[in-house]
Amino acid sequence: MTPAIVPSALPGVVAPLTARYGVAMLLWAAASTAQAQNAPATNVPDAITRKTGLHLEPMPRAARLYAENCQGCHGPTGVSVTEIPTLAGRIGYFARTPEGRRYLVQVPNVALNPSSDQDIAELMNWLLNTYSRAELPKDFQPYSTEEVALLRKARIDVAADRRRIVEQLLVLEQIPSADVLATPHSSLY
Amino acid sequence: MKPICTSRFDRLIENLSRTAAQRLSRRSFLSHCGTWLVAASAIPLLPVSRQAQASDNPHKPKAAGKFASEFANHAQTTDPTKCNYWRYCSSDGYMCACCGGGPSTCPPGTSPSPTSWVGSCINPDDGKTYLIAYRDCCGQDSCGRCSCLGQEGDMPSYRPQVNNDIVWCFGASSMVYHCSSAGLVGLVE
Repeated sequence: MTPAIVPSALPGVVAPLTARYGVAMLLWAAASTAQAQNAPATNVPDAITRKTGLHLEPMPRAARLYAENCQGCHGPTGVSVTEIPTLAGRIGYFARTPEGRRYLVQVPNVALNPSSDQDIAELMNWLLNTYSRAELPKDFQPYSTEEVALLRKARIDVAADRRRIVEQLLVLEQIPSADVLATPHSSLY
Repeated sequence: MKPICTSRFDRLIENLSRTAAQRLSRRSFLSHCGTWLVAASAIPLLPVSRQAQASDNPHKPKAAGKFASEFANHAQTTDPTKCNYWRYCSSDGYMCACCGGGPSTCPPGTSPSPTSWVGSCINPDDGKTYLIAYRDCCGQDSCGRCSCLGQEGDMPSYRPQVNNDIVWCFGASSMVYHCSSAGLVGLVE
């Protein structure tokens, strides 16, 4: 950046100004150049990211499915407000019994989601491994497209089903206490 | 008259000024000024000027039919206060960038809703698809500025998770809607 361009027709006016503020203008120019060099390059062509230097890595397919279908309410980390059931550190418990494993796919917002059976299977396997790997049974078998296709056809009594599955997990000592899968309201699932 | 100034340049200016003062009336000077003002204001109407502007205009829409998204074909990436800003492809409401916030930040006095709905928009500059979280800013009366209606991927309200007519202030401290933000969530592979 040129700190001071003096139009030749106005030397009497600009020259004293330049002399007085020249140093300040030079400093300002140097600072703005340094700032431009410090901002990391963004890979998103956008007015805002050019300033912030935001760099986005391509998302895996399953992560995109989660973002588009679940993340809005369940949050990017699988934890959200109290009204929305937490996924992180919890959903793996359900996979410890055949009933719970079935329930995870038969929950209405999974079963009735417009995504294909294949997408749901991929999403569920990614979700369980990303947000609740520690709670998964050691012999966890990933969902197959066929299994999802079969399971999502059923309509269940969601809240009652959930209560029964949690009780069963407790009896089988698959969860330390009922609190780990508690919801703030009995109507939530 | 003998010039007062000693410097050669100043003498030249002095002579010019004195000649002008002797030959031209004030009315003539004003009329010339008026002519120049009118002429200057007419310059942007000339085709040459418009062509130069068009080639360097950041708000210029891209060539129609380039992308699968109709919105992206007319979108720009530089001005978040315009409805054709690329991230607003599915946004319905008042844009926070016009309300004292940014395209992905809430104005002071409002809080971002913990829940949002996630859509995807094509960036017209690189042609890639990005996931965008449409997050409402809540807690103040409606902003009322920059009312935009992007409807890409918008579904009727009986599919509320992908409907943008609903106030998405679920879980926020106040359900009063102020404006809509459009934060970048990720880059799609």
